[in-house]
Amino acid sequence: MKRRSFLNTIAVAAVAAGGFTATGAVAQDESYTIGVAIPSATHGFMGGLNFHAQDTIRRLEETYPQLSFVLATAGDAGTMVNDIEDMVATRDIDALVVLPFESAPLTSPVQAVADAGIWVTVVDRGLSVEGIEDLYVAGDNPGFGRVAGEYFAETLSEGDKIVVLRGIPTTLDNERVEAFQAAIEGSGIEVLDMQHGNWNRDDAFNVMQDYLSRFAEIDAVWAADDDMAIGALEAIAQSGRAEEMWVVGGAGMKQIIARMMEGDPQLPVNVTYPPAQISTAIELTALGLISSTPVSGRFIIGSQLITPENAENFYFPDSPF
Amino acid sequence: MSDTTSTAAARHFPAINLHVLGPVLALLLLIALGAWLNPNFLSYGNVTNVLARSAFIGIIAVGMTFVITAGGIDLSVGSMAAFVAGLMILAMNSLIPIMGVGIPVILCGLAVAMIAGFIAGWLNGVLIAKVRIEAFIVTLGTMGIYRSLVTWLADGGTLSLDFDLRALYRPVYYDGILGVGWPIIVFALVAILGEVLMRRTAFGRHCAAIGANEQVARYSAVNVDRVRIATFVLLGMLVGLATIMYVPRLGSASASTGVLWELEAIAAVIIGGTVLKGGFGRVWGTVVGVLILSLIGNILNLASMVSPYLNGTIQGVIVILAVVLQRERKAAGAR
Amino acid sequence: MTAPVLAISGVSHSFGAVQVLFDIDFDLRPGEVHALIGENGAGKSTTMKILAGYLRPTSGQILLNGAPVSFTGSQQAEAAGIVMIHQEFNLAQQLTVEENIFLGREIKRGPFLDHRRMQAESRALLQRLNSNVDPRARVSDISVPNRQMVEIAKALGREARVLIMDEPTAVLTARETEILLEQIDRLRAAGTAILYTSHKLDEVARIADRVTVLRDGRHVLEAPARELNTDRMAEAMVGRELSGLFPEKPEVFGDPVLQVEGLSVPGLIQDAGFTLRRGEVLGFAGLVGAGRTELMEAVVGLRPASGRITIEGKPLKPGSVMAARSAGLVYLTEDRKEKGLLLGKNLRQNLTLLALDRFTRILIDRKAEAAALDRAVAEFDIRAGDLNMNAGNLSGGNQQKLLLAKTMLAEPRIVIIDEPTRGIDIGTKQQIYTFIAGLAAAGKSVIVVSSELPEVIGLSNRVVVMAAGRIAGILEGDDINEQTIVRLAMGMPGEEVKAS
Repeated sequence: MKRRSFLNTIAVAAVAAGGFTATGAVAQDESYTIGVAIPSATHGFMGGLNFHAQDTIRRLEETYPQLSFVLATAGDAGTMVNDIEDMVATRDIDALVVLPFESAPLTSPVQAVADAGIWVTVVDRGLSVEGIEDLYVAGDNPGFGRVAGEYFAETLSEGDKIVVLRGIPTTLDNERVEAFQAAIEGSGIEVLDMQHGNWNRDDAFNVMQDYLSRFAEIDAVWAADDDMAIGALEAIAQSGRAEEMWVVGGAGMKQIIARMMEGDPQLPVNVTYPPAQISTAIELTALGLISSTPVSGRFIIGSQLITPENAENFYFPDSPF
Repeated sequence: MSDTTSTAAARHFPAINLHVLGPVLALLLLIALGAWLNPNFLSYGNVTNVLARSAFIGIIAVGMTFVITAGGIDLSVGSMAAFVAGLMILAMNSLIPIMGVGIPVILCGLAVAMIAGFIAGWLNGVLIAKVRIEAFIVTLGTMGIYRSLVTWLADGGTLSLDFDLRALYRPVYYDGILGVGWPIIVFALVAILGEVLMRRTAFGRHCAAIGANEQVARYSAVNVDRVRIATFVLLGMLVGLATIMYVPRLGSASASTGVLWELEAIAAVIIGGTVLKGGFGRVWGTVVGVLILSLIGNILNLASMVSPYLNGTIQGVIVILAVVLQRERKAAGAR
Repeated sequence: MTAPVLAISGVSHSFGAVQVLFDIDFDLRPGEVHALIGENGAGKSTTMKILAGYLRPTSGQILLNGAPVSFTGSQQAEAAGIVMIHQEFNLAQQLTVEENIFLGREIKRGPFLDHRRMQAESRALLQRLNSNVDPRARVSDISVPNRQMVEIAKALGREARVLIMDEPTAVLTARETEILLEQIDRLRAAGTAILYTSHKLDEVARIADRVTVLRDGRHVLEAPARELNTDRMAEAMVGRELSGLFPEKPEVFGDPVLQVEGLSVPGLIQDAGFTLRRGEVLGFAGLVGAGRTELMEAVVGLRPASGRITIEGKPLKPGSVMAARSAGLVYLTEDRKEKGLLLGKNLRQNLTLLALDRFTRILIDRKAEAAALDRAVAEFDIRAGDLNMNAGNLSGGNQQKLLLAKTMLAEPRIVIIDEPTRGIDIGTKQQIYTFIAGLAAAGKSVIVVSSELPEVIGLSNRVVVMAAGRIAGILEGDDINEQTIVRLAMGMPGEEVKAS
């Protein structure tokens, strides 16, 4: 399966250790409960992340009968804190895998969990205080911006004009944009404007429409997210200026990847920010519990450049994202 | 007509004028500001863009005007739009194997949207009028229900319309007659019919009577429950219509579709001069309100004169100002 | 006889151009119950409000312990020991008995409320009234007579020397009334001066030491209670010339158009039945709370009810105002501000609301509406400075005429008019009476519900008297007189009353 190969490329350690567990480690009678707290599926990327979380849990529960999982999705930081408190108080979890909704508000509740001797795996967004978690699994946000920026710097020439669609104003978005700006610095590329498209198709459509009304010349668009890329592409198509500019999104949404595989000239490249990082985190956590494999530490999944040539490796038709 | 009435009307006229001017004045100021900031503001492309993107909220807000005039409120419209869009896409995708890609599939999709809107509105209305639960609570509940249903339908991701079918359906958003896009035409028709319905029919009169004093309406042989349900059904069907215009734009629906549309629609209604606690509604005012809200976003994008972080602040200030202008005019115009 | 503690002398009062009190003398003495009786609108409320400092008289003097005073408000009167207990209680429903009794003069210990002391004092006050209400109970949880006791305890707690009681027994049952009267006996024995009003004349006879009768704002009788009986009181209350105010009554009637049988509204109306004939004016009399309005609302479908209603032989769909209206039956509410008119809407929209279908095909014909308003203004003599004005800005009398016009626009065959002249000056009253008689003469049938006896008597061909949710009797011909109606309404056995 393509999906397996994908996991192999990014989580060699996990799969290797998994193989070791399945064959070598003695399955103990002791059972474990793992709590998983993630934001709810409010946009495409999180939808993908939710899908991968559920999929991984189902697979692990089949493979390891002694493991059970508690999955909670939250629409805001407060709800997530409540979910975690409930898991500790009522489900007696042995490990917690958490993708903090926001860093600061989740820091002390997660610290309390760690202090209670429960294994803590933090995914994607770091906590405000270092050293709380036993395992940190994340995508590379500065890398996400840098890889895209490098492509822009290489491809465009001095004086070319681009517009940027930013996400929801957050630290994460700032890290990406700063790295992008650093990567194009000195290239002479002119950034006409940066507005927030909020990782939302409709908002991105409106912002792009207005960019198109305002600027007579646009050579490229950094949409920073594939949902926004879809909105932007639609606005460009409406204006009839598709020949004029190309768009770089991000995170490898399957529709975008499919179009790249067909060689769409408007979508030259994409940058990975895999929602499947949650699978890595859950699998590693499970391994740490049921075997003696050392899994603590930091695990950064680099952002890779997807090109039409390698796009096939990043295409997952089963995922909703 | 006797002399007394004509002089009376003349005496009353200036007061009406002042009262009416509030939102129109705000709209004109915004247009002047936009034109001054960016020469492209009044270009054909930008004007049609703004009008077309106003159409979804606008069509919904016209329905919301009736609900609020009759003393109700509906918080569920944004989620309902997302849910209806999701249902419509699923229905059309699953009909393609049976019917093939063609107009009949799209017509079925339209029917699904209208029927789903009708049922959703009717449910809200019955729970409010017959079961007698507060409109705020009922629609807060259905808001959460539809939002989570669409997330579930999309499996947390995005529902996308079949690519070939979308190519066929796409002109419904992007084409039009004589350079006027279909969404603009539909919005205009809905607004005109809504204005006539509010001002010139028994239904509109009854909505205002119920919102002003439900007891009086009841004692005046107005079928209060039926009128109230009808306002929610009307709104639901307009949500269906807005969805029909929305789906061809991006060909997709997800959990983030229509987020906060309900508040935008309510804000537009109130900016337009409809009284939030009911009893008086003005459909054309709602149209002005929708345009004000769209223009604020458009101008901020075109001008980028403030930090994008402050966009919300600007919007909030203008919304409050538009209503304050009206309030002062009311006081000045009071007898 | 002791000297009066509180008195008014030569007091007159006007509301705008309308004079409601003419040169009234009235006094209250310690240890005496002085009853003030009269018809609705006779001036009792105004007199009480002047005594309790709520109103300042247009002319005349208020004497406290023989010295002239001028109260600027009820607080000042209360400080002087004068407390009025209103007909609708002034208690905060969600506070406890103790909190109500000490409302506004809470006992504190340092910055905190001293609940223990306030509870003890409340209990002591209530015990003086022989009442065992728990001071910690929430007022909304205690019975209506107990609330009355709390009101009185509250008055006692303010060390009332003068207690003014506005219809304290209107909401009480006979047994509760008896307990209240015993408490009044106690207060009298303790030296409190008490002003007592009631429509129930037997109570007045039982409790009062002295009785003053007002009629049309004038003082008509003052006598020791032992020299009066209830008949004599009623006679003094109503004895006035009514000729000229009411038009001639027609004599000939057609077939029954409205028949009501066995109509009951749970808790309000029991087994009511009556018949209305074509061209007839049927009056409904009774005390406030006897269930007349509730009966009419049930008949037109505004209240759920059981029973049988037929219009011209056809059964009426129950619970539907729309069905009643299509059958030609309309109801004109007594509460024109809350249920009759949209005060914030203009005259035109109010006028056509009930009969809007007559002005509508698909769209409303606004020209026809405007023409209807012009006709209504002429026909009903509605005096509006400006036809675009809101109904709420009309005077009470003109609102009533607008409401009548609105009702008649539906072209009903049967009209139920509840309190046709409440709060309306005498000139407009006469216009409305003439109009009602005209309706009957034109072959329509009219029910008039009124608390003003002269109105019921002057207009009606027959009078239905209600008491405590039942029909107490239906009077015809010479039996329609105030004494008989009052006796029936007060639950006394009627003399020579023909059974319905």
